Amino acid sequence: MNPHANMIIMSSLILGPMITITSNHWIMAWVGLEINMLAIIPLIAKQHHPRAIEASIKYFLTQAAASSLLLFSIINNVWNTGQFDITQSTNTMSSTMMTAALTMKLGLAPFHYWLPETLQGTTTMMTLILTTWQKLAPLTLLMMINQSLNTSLLVTLSLLSMMIGGWGGLNQTQLRKIMAFSSIAHLGWMTMILTLSTKLTLLTFYTYITLTTTMLLTIKLLETNKMSTAMTSWTKSPMLNAMMMLNLMSLAGLPPLTGFMPKWLILQELTKNHMTIIATTSAILSLLSLFFYIRIAYYSTITLPPNMTNYSQQWRHKNQQKPYLPLMIITSSMLTPIMPTFMMIM
Amino acid sequence: MVFFMFLFEVCFVFWIISVASGPSPYYGVVGLVFGAVFGCLMLVGVGGSFISLVLFLIYLGGMLVVFAYSVALTGDPYPSAWRGYGDLFCMVGYVLFVVGAVMYCFDKWSLEGYGDVVMDASGLFSVRMDYIGVSWFYSYGCVMFLIAGWGLLLTLFVVLDLVRGLAWGTIRSI
Repeated sequence: MNPHANMIIMSSLILGPMITITSNHWIMAWVGLEINMLAIIPLIAKQHHPRAIEASIKYFLTQAAASSLLLFSIINNVWNTGQFDITQSTNTMSSTMMTAALTMKLGLAPFHYWLPETLQGTTTMMTLILTTWQKLAPLTLLMMINQSLNTSLLVTLSLLSMMIGGWGGLNQTQLRKIMAFSSIAHLGWMTMILTLSTKLTLLTFYTYITLTTTMLLTIKLLETNKMSTAMTSWTKSPMLNAMMMLNLMSLAGLPPLTGFMPKWLILQELTKNHMTIIATTSAILSLLSLFFYIRIAYYSTITLPPNMTNYSQQWRHKNQQKPYLPLMIITSSMLTPIMPTFMMIM
Repeated sequence: MVFFMFLFEVCFVFWIISVASGPSPYYGVVGLVFGAVFGCLMLVGVGGSFISLVLFLIYLGGMLVVFAYSVALTGDPYPSAWRGYGDLFCMVGYVLFVVGAVMYCFDKWSLEGYGDVVMDASGLFSVRMDYIGVSWFYSYGCVMFLIAGWGLLLTLFVVLDLVRGLAWGTIRSI
């Protein structure tokens, strides 16, 4: 890509969510979302092969539909209540449609079909941006309008996306698609707790960003994007694969690791609000995700018997070192003990 | 006026259903244009005459006709009209959906009290909201105006970047 065009597009990509997050006027929030969506499209289609173009078109169509639905609900709210304040979106029809539009932008369950397809069509780094930075603006908007959202609607969407995220990922062999389904399941956890405690949503989101970033950077460093190449990747950097297993267990939410912290607190909050059946269901549904995380961990840490192929010499190739990866691995596996500090500062 | 409004609303729903149920974009564009016309007329009815005029002149006159017609003409060399039970099923389904949604939503969601919002605009008494909005867009909201303009300019960059290059751009035969 042309460096000037790249600069314009990257700065707009950063600017868009910033505008959305800092605004309290619906039109500015919408403009920020639009800038963000437009800026990412040439980056998804950067390689100009048909898969990338297809991914960018899928992304564009879904996001444009969600944006127009959001704009319609904003205008509806303005015509009914006469003001553009984000936190005062009190019209019932508007807040329901906003929920639909923003969950479509996030990729929550009934509107999730674009996410695995788009992620599969792009590079690993774009997958990283799409699963982390692009979620920032819609999730912030959802958190700002959380007082007028419908709890039962959001809980239904969340349970559905946990189910879809778990079941969809079971039969996948492509790591980026698995990460997409993992993203859907995690977003389910975030929106589950949205109307009860926005702090916990934010905590879940931060944890999710840390874990997904670590996982995708590991995938990028190992240059593997499917199960079959993951099996022979341990010779590239054996320690990294062991750490990847820890990171995957953290994504699944196993107790001593970082990923357990948000799930623990969410289950506690749900139980405090007498939603024990929903808490139990979501805990059980996270087992579905655990299954495919275990499968990736098994395939990536498996030590194959000696044979004639030269894959075991891969450690001789100089791989692209990432000095920040160890720090990210530590963050994404050992943060649970400082949970009281998190609860204090948030 | 009530009868005219009712006529506009029925025509709007009719043309939008023709867009939604039509099998080919070639005829869908016609429905879209007429639907937009009746949508503008509905907006006039609920008190948004200025916005309606802007929509009619710029959206319908400029963008929709040129863009939608050219896309429909290139994308659809052999257009097909409504025929068979599938299209009929779609059409009846959409009509039932609209009627059901209106019947359900009118009680459930408060759809009354829309339109014709008049505000006290800093000393000017009782100015309609769309006029105030547009005039404030050029005075208090100038930063907003600049950011929205940046969004439009970015669209240009994005489109140019996507279609740049004959051999590896987006517009080519695969």
